[in-house]
Amino acid sequence: MEARVFEIINTVLSNRSKPKISSLKSEMDLRNDLGMDSLDLAELTVRIEAEYDVDIFEDGIVRTVGEVLKKI
Amino acid sequence: MNIVITGVSKGLGLYLCKILLEKSYNVFGISRSKTIELEDLMSMYPDSFKWLNYNLNNTDNIRQDIFKNWIGFDIPIHGLVNNAATAYDDIITNLDIDSLEQMFTVNVFASMILTKFAIRHMLLHNIKGSIVHISSISVHTGYKGLSMYAATKGALEAFSKNVAREWGEIGIRSNCLVAGFMETEMSSTLTNEQKNRIYNRTALKKSVEINSVAETIEFLISQKSNSITGQNINVDSGTI
Ligand SMILES: NC(=O)c1ccc[n+]([C@@H]2O[C@H](COP(=O)([O-])OP(=O)(O)OC[C@H]3O[C@@H](n4cnc5c(N)ncnc54)[C@H](OP(=O)(O)O)[C@@H]3O)[C@@H](O)[C@H]2O)c1
Repeated sequence: MEARVFEIINTVLSNRSKPKISSLKSEMDLRNDLGMDSLDLAELTVRIEAEYDVDIFEDGIVRTVGEVLKKI
Repeated sequence: MNIVITGVSKGLGLYLCKILLEKSYNVFGISRSKTIELEDLMSMYPDSFKWLNYNLNNTDNIRQDIFKNWIGFDIPIHGLVNNAATAYDDIITNLDIDSLEQMFTVNVFASMILTKFAIRHMLLHNIKGSIVHISSISVHTGYKGLSMYAATKGALEAFSKNVAREWGEIGIRSNCLVAGFMETEMSSTLTNEQKNRIYNRTALKKSVEINSVAETIEFLISQKSNSITGQNINVDSGTI
């Protein structure tokens, strides 16, 4: 699952012409470390939802990679 | 191109389906009733026309019933036309809150939720899609008895402009087609005198041709309008 989320994050980053990451750490902050803005986070949500059928932002704010992984 | 259209059982929605199907679009159409005309169209285009019986008063199941189970996340969506609407018309001193809430649910809230999930679908497939909301000239030119209906359409126009701003950098567009008076069931309760008064407020002095509205919607859905977003396009016989 972690590997798949890593892939999804890099898909979102490259779709938006942002630098990809080389490894995934659970303490990474989606906005500050990965450079995602609200539209990137929307795409991330949708891609995760399509695979795991959970909307990671549905109840409350998710800030880090670890929090994303906990939701799915 | 796959296009979702609400309110396809009659009037403008039905006509729009017809011209989109003729132009080889795939259409996902939604309404509560299946009219004979709708059935005819479904049998003419068994592969490219899909229909769902759904009451847009029910906003809770839009994701599950429409986007997940019916369209499916594998199918890309290129366009959404928020056309279904009801018109609760009365003078404001007679306002009935239940009727008003129902109208806002269908005309405004369902349209917003459909937009939410259509954009999410577009993000999943990297589609630079187009959303068209059907508004009404009553937003811009007051008519007695239409204040509540016009308020729903004014809400849609404001929504559309802001969605256009929000999603423009991804290439997703949102526009309103501001229709003038068309001869459909929605307007069938008007007397000839009322109709003539409406026509007299237009440059062309006649009702708006449904064909002209539908062709303009097709233009806004297609890539021919790639540089148009956040706009209200009037098709209203030149209402002045
Ligand atoms: N006619 C005019 O003069 C005029 C002028 C300006 C703007 N407009 C706008 O143009 C659009 C089309 O209007 P029209 O004249 O074609 O109206 P219409 O003939 O009354 O058709 C309305 C369509 O919306 C559908 N609908 C209504 N409530 C629904 C619900 N709860 N759930 C699902 N579908 C629902 C109806 O299907 P079911 O009943 O089968 O569900 C029908 O297919 C509307 O947005 C209207 O506000 C019309």
